Amino acid sequence: MTTGLQLEGLHKELGGRTIVENLSLDVATGELVCLLGPSGCGKTTTLRMIAGFLEPESGRVVVAGHDVTSLPPEKRPSAMVFQNYALWPHMTVTKNVAFPLRLAKRPRAEIAERVAKVLELVNLTHHKDSRPGRISGGEQQRTALARALVQEPAVLLLDEPLSNLDAKLRVRVREDIREIQQRLGITTVMVTHDQDEAMAMADRIAVMNDGRIEQVSSPQELYSDPQTEFVATFVGSLNKVEGRLEPHGLTPEAGLTSAIRPEAVAVVPASSDGALDAEVVRVTPHGHFAEVKVKTLGEVELVSFVTGPPPAEGDQVGVRLGEVWRFRDGKRVR
Amino acid sequence: MSSDPDAGAPVAGAVDDDAPAAAPTSAAATGTLTNPRRVRHRARVRSLRGLLMASPPLLLIAAFTGFPIVLAIAYSLGHTGGLNSTTALIAQHQHVKTEWWGTLGAYREVLTNERFQRDLRVTLLVTVVSTTVVLALALIIALYLRLAGGWAAKALTVVSVVPMFIPVVIASWAVLMFYAPDGFLRSLFAQVGLEGPTFGYTVTAIIIAQVWCSLPFAVLMCASGVQAVPDALIDAARDSGAGLVRTTFSVILPMAFVPIVIAATFTAIGIIGSFTVPYFTGPTAPTMLGVDMANYFTAYNRPQQSIVMAVVVFVAASLIAVTYVWANFRSSKESGA
Ligand SMILES: Nc1ncnc2c1ncn2[C@@H]1O[C@H](COP(=O)(O)OP(=O)(O)O)[C@@H](O)[C@H]1O
Ligand SMILES: [Mg+2]
Repeated sequence: MTTGLQLEGLHKELGGRTIVENLSLDVATGELVCLLGPSGCGKTTTLRMIAGFLEPESGRVVVAGHDVTSLPPEKRPSAMVFQNYALWPHMTVTKNVAFPLRLAKRPRAEIAERVAKVLELVNLTHHKDSRPGRISGGEQQRTALARALVQEPAVLLLDEPLSNLDAKLRVRVREDIREIQQRLGITTVMVTHDQDEAMAMADRIAVMNDGRIEQVSSPQELYSDPQTEFVATFVGSLNKVEGRLEPHGLTPEAGLTSAIRPEAVAVVPASSDGALDAEVVRVTPHGHFAEVKVKTLGEVELVSFVTGPPPAEGDQVGVRLGEVWRFRDGKRVR
Repeated sequence: MSSDPDAGAPVAGAVDDDAPAAAPTSAAATGTLTNPRRVRHRARVRSLRGLLMASPPLLLIAAFTGFPIVLAIAYSLGHTGGLNSTTALIAQHQHVKTEWWGTLGAYREVLTNERFQRDLRVTLLVTVVSTTVVLALALIIALYLRLAGGWAAKALTVVSVVPMFIPVVIASWAVLMFYAPDGFLRSLFAQVGLEGPTFGYTVTAIIIAQVWCSLPFAVLMCASGVQAVPDALIDAARDSGAGLVRTTFSVILPMAFVPIVIAATFTAIGIIGSFTVPYFTGPTAPTMLGVDMANYFTAYNRPQQSIVMAVVVFVAASLIAVTYVWANFRSSKESGA
């Protein structure tokens, strides 16, 4: 498979500050990669460098084997869906979607056909003559997607495409986007700060922190095998303990942080085989499971997820520890 | 004066707010069902009360602007009696009414006068050319500020607004001095042994001075209109494959349409009725109608003819104002709000 998009050592400074630092990433053709990270970590900046709105101080952007680093946005084979959709309010839905094709000087009949097809794909045919101000947020979002898709871009760029939709719609739209993306086999980079969104949609996730990529993995691997303390903390929940935590006890060790997922902490009856003695500190019900906080090994507090009837606060129980990760200077160590 | 009705509106609104708050309480207290006829009646009372609150400024406008306008138009139609009798007493070359409604004598005289026709043409020419140049300059500055930014663009904008703080009389005089036969420009050319152009006391000088005086307002209006187009909409156009020119014509200018029309109409209306600029910088003849009106009124003592010209200019300005109303109407329909 050829590489749909390559980012090689991208570096960007804005306002005298390094925003993106030596960022490299390969996206295979037809793959959807999420840039996931907290707000302000440089995700949008990276996306804007791919689209051509920002020029990197150094590094290259290569689309399907062609170096596009020095091209302005209008000459790049990428199409972007903006966070607030950026639809032109003085044009109808059809005119918004047709605009890129009219710029490309496609024949009138071809424009009409392609616009009709893409509006059907995003299920907007009934709103083709409406103005953006008159349709709902979800419909605006689909118009923006249609405007990007109609260009048949080599790379589709999505900047927090779901952040302005309400929670219920968000889940449905992310399935729709993923389905369309896979059906068209379009190389896609999506920016989000929402780990659920990234987990649900991405083939691979690149976790960004402070302008750098910490780890690029499949959603599953990111969760079960994080390479840095930041990734382990940012994705899912985590218990952290200073020192060397082992199934049978805790040894103090300077600069070493141990971490264990709540799922790897099993609450068992008191004085079970190979279990540590513990006391239940707090129980928070979440419907189909309960979050149980226990105190063990003196002052160590651990959270566990318990399905089935939870213990009561103050109960004496045992805890069995599963896989423990250890980090030194933020990096995973044995 | 135009702000008077606006000042009255909030007062009227305050009364409106009070009325519905009081109504449910009284209805609940008496236990009566809401009667649609009574509701309509109450609404009518409320809007009447609003009108009453707004009426003092409206009456002031009517008394000090509307009434004199009616009198003047009546005078132009040859009604020389009543409140017009003082003016009519000393005026020369009057046309006195022949029918019950008056006479068109003064209109016939002015409209067939070749000098008037020539000056009307000059007035329209200066208005159209100056407005076009002003709008072009203002848009270039506004777009430069929007798309390039930086200190140079900001400096240019500030400089273009400076004329706003210079009285028109001074500015006209300065333009005249600059382009006069013995002015700065020709002196400069003479230094290197060239014959410079003489714009002083020409229609060209009028246009230059009009542009100078009208530019600040147009720049402020266009710049704020163009500035209000969100970055993302411009980015989206470029991402779709539009270069800067196409982005400007397909996205920026249509979205700044209303402010641009406001700039154009206000500029044109200001120029069409101007007096100071053509009086100082222009030739004695031809000249703009503003100067003619002043001359007919004071120097020639023919106020009736002067008023006829004013009516003609008023009609032209109204046509320009229609564009403004149409643009506002179109934009409110378009926004879908
Ligand atoms: N034009 C700019 N000038 C200076 N700083 C900027 C500019 N644009 C973005 N930044 C800064 O760069 C950082 C990353 O921004 P961004 O890429 O938008 O983050 P994200 O999309 O991950 O939330 C932020 O701290 C932001 O303040
Ligand atoms: Mg962002």
